[in-house]
Amino acid sequence: MNRSIKDKIMYGFIGLATAFTVGILLWIIGFVFVNGLKYVNLDFIMSDYDSKTTYVTIPVSENSTNNKLGIDFEIKEYEDTNYPVITSIDKSSKAKEAVDKKGESFKLRKGDIIKKVAGKSAENLTALELNEVINNVDTDTILVKVTNKGEGIFPMLITTLLTILLSLIVACPIGIFAAIYLTEYAKPGRLVRLIRFATESLAGIPSIIFGLFGMIFFVVFLKFNYSILAGSLTLSIILLPVIIRQTEESLKAIPNSYREGSLGLGATKLQTIRKVILPNAVSGIVVAIILSIGRIVGESAALLLTAGTVARVPNNLFSSGATLTVKAYAVAEEQGDIGMACAIGSIVVILILILNTLSKLISRKLNKSNA
Amino acid sequence: MDINLNMIEEKNKTTDNKTFDMKIDKRRELLESVARKMFLLNACIAVICVAAITFFVFYKGLQPFFSGNAEGTYSLVDFLTGTQWRPNDDINSALYGILYMICGSLMATVGAIIIGVPIGILSAVFISQIAPKNIKRIIKPAVELLAGIPSVIYGVFGLGIIVPKIMDISPRAQGQSLLAVIMVLTIMILPTVITISESAINAVPQAYIEGSYGLGASKIQTIFKVILPAAKSGILAGVVLGIGRAIGETMAVMLVAGNPIAGIPTSIWDPIRPLTTNIAMEMGYAFGLHQEILFSTGVVLFIFIIILNLILNRITAKAGEK
Repeated sequence: MNRSIKDKIMYGFIGLATAFTVGILLWIIGFVFVNGLKYVNLDFIMSDYDSKTTYVTIPVSENSTNNKLGIDFEIKEYEDTNYPVITSIDKSSKAKEAVDKKGESFKLRKGDIIKKVAGKSAENLTALELNEVINNVDTDTILVKVTNKGEGIFPMLITTLLTILLSLIVACPIGIFAAIYLTEYAKPGRLVRLIRFATESLAGIPSIIFGLFGMIFFVVFLKFNYSILAGSLTLSIILLPVIIRQTEESLKAIPNSYREGSLGLGATKLQTIRKVILPNAVSGIVVAIILSIGRIVGESAALLLTAGTVARVPNNLFSSGATLTVKAYAVAEEQGDIGMACAIGSIVVILILILNTLSKLISRKLNKSNA
Repeated sequence: MDINLNMIEEKNKTTDNKTFDMKIDKRRELLESVARKMFLLNACIAVICVAAITFFVFYKGLQPFFSGNAEGTYSLVDFLTGTQWRPNDDINSALYGILYMICGSLMATVGAIIIGVPIGILSAVFISQIAPKNIKRIIKPAVELLAGIPSVIYGVFGLGIIVPKIMDISPRAQGQSLLAVIMVLTIMILPTVITISESAINAVPQAYIEGSYGLGASKIQTIFKVILPAAKSGILAGVVLGIGRAIGETMAVMLVAGNPIAGIPTSIWDPIRPLTTNIAMEMGYAFGLHQEILFSTGVVLFIFIIILNLILNRITAKAGEK
């Protein structure tokens, strides 16, 4: 065959392959955003995941428009029938003074569903009928059964943040100190080879195996149960190779003359590390932390076996909780809810995008200051 | 002369003083050695972790095959050659055969490698050899983003797009199949193969390329006859890492595999149950022998990973020798 035709065909293949790679990426991101972004708003981020029903006592406000509660409704479908849903709350309304049965103040929000008013079910009522019911009440307060429909990601967000914090607190010192040993102290030999082999092996072990280990060691053996503590400790092992490798890179990039200068001035090795090496490696360490955060946000298999899939704000280190990605998996697998999974997914993708850009910017700055 | 001697004496004195000063600073020396030991200890944690992970997983996973196990025993041969997975509280009627899972895992991995590796290598060639700088500046972050996307999202994408599409063309009623797994894994190994291959290609000495051009070869000929052969071991390392990622992938695969309880897959439309998803699906509620057998599944997976790591070590050592 003619050489130039052959070349053109190969160029075509190369172009096709690259187009496939980039196209798939765009398709995935497009899919996640198209299906998910419509759910994402402030309510989605700040609401609980599970629905919650509360009886609240609301003081009557006489001079409000519409009705004595000063609340506007809209009839919407919920649980297969129609219920009034709060669309807005008047400024003059005393709904802000609402209290629940325990006497604690309760904040009514847009989107809350009114189930009962003054003992009468609000199911299938029109807005007019509901206003009538409300305005016919002649006591000073009205008892209202309100359901917050949840479907938010607030608990997962908190769990994710806590997991990030905990695993970094454990993994960072270990990883950074290990990297310092490897670059500043270690002489080539069997021990260093062993440590490097271990770090590489850790990077190659699939997260489900970490999950198995975390489950048998932290959950069962140390009796942490399914908890964010067990999950975070498992994650910190996963993070070790990331942090060690990245920190080592940045330590290696520091010119030897800095070390010699410091030692020549009479500083000890430890002083050199504290006052010369670490300050110069800060941006590299920050990049390591950012990469670790990305890894934590994306991790799911190991957490599934160690931290559980419950959607609630953890009240201590030993309570179980799902991170964003674990929940995205759970809603997709157990409820087949692709929309919700994509909604969580779009938050995660945005987070990863931000983290990637940050690490890029910092390492670019690092390279500039070195050059 | 006299003055000189005096000076030398004085010099000796000062040096003596200095060594004296250094000797009394025991605190500082202690601090130094403590710090050194602390750094060493932290460096050893990685080693301890690998040892602990290996020990615990193997310990728990091998128990069912030794007689006298408190939770009951299961035959290793039945475990490795069985094609049915039917957990049961009654130990005698439970079946724990994983041969069909091993087949499923291997088939999916091989399929993903066959499709994903050529695409990955060609993309790497484009990025490092052909793309103009400004296009490169767009594609490289795209590949990094592809690497950073959590596996669950790949799974959701597979469940939302790939599985319904397969359902349309498949002779089976179900879209969750070997083919779906292969497609998801193909996408997932791309960033690994691309990044490693790209750095291997970039490491090829410029002289090779210039030599090839000098002999009158075209760019394409240079790429396929000179650059890729020279970068062979680096690319191979990327492929092995890709295999590792494919065989160890759990969450994405779990959503699109179908996870049947029996049967070696005979066509790409058959659902499969990879080793990884078997563990993740049932670990939440398993106990007793069932739980231990899930660890045994983990041991089989672990052995595959160890073999891959050994191969990888060989390849990188070879590349290093060059």
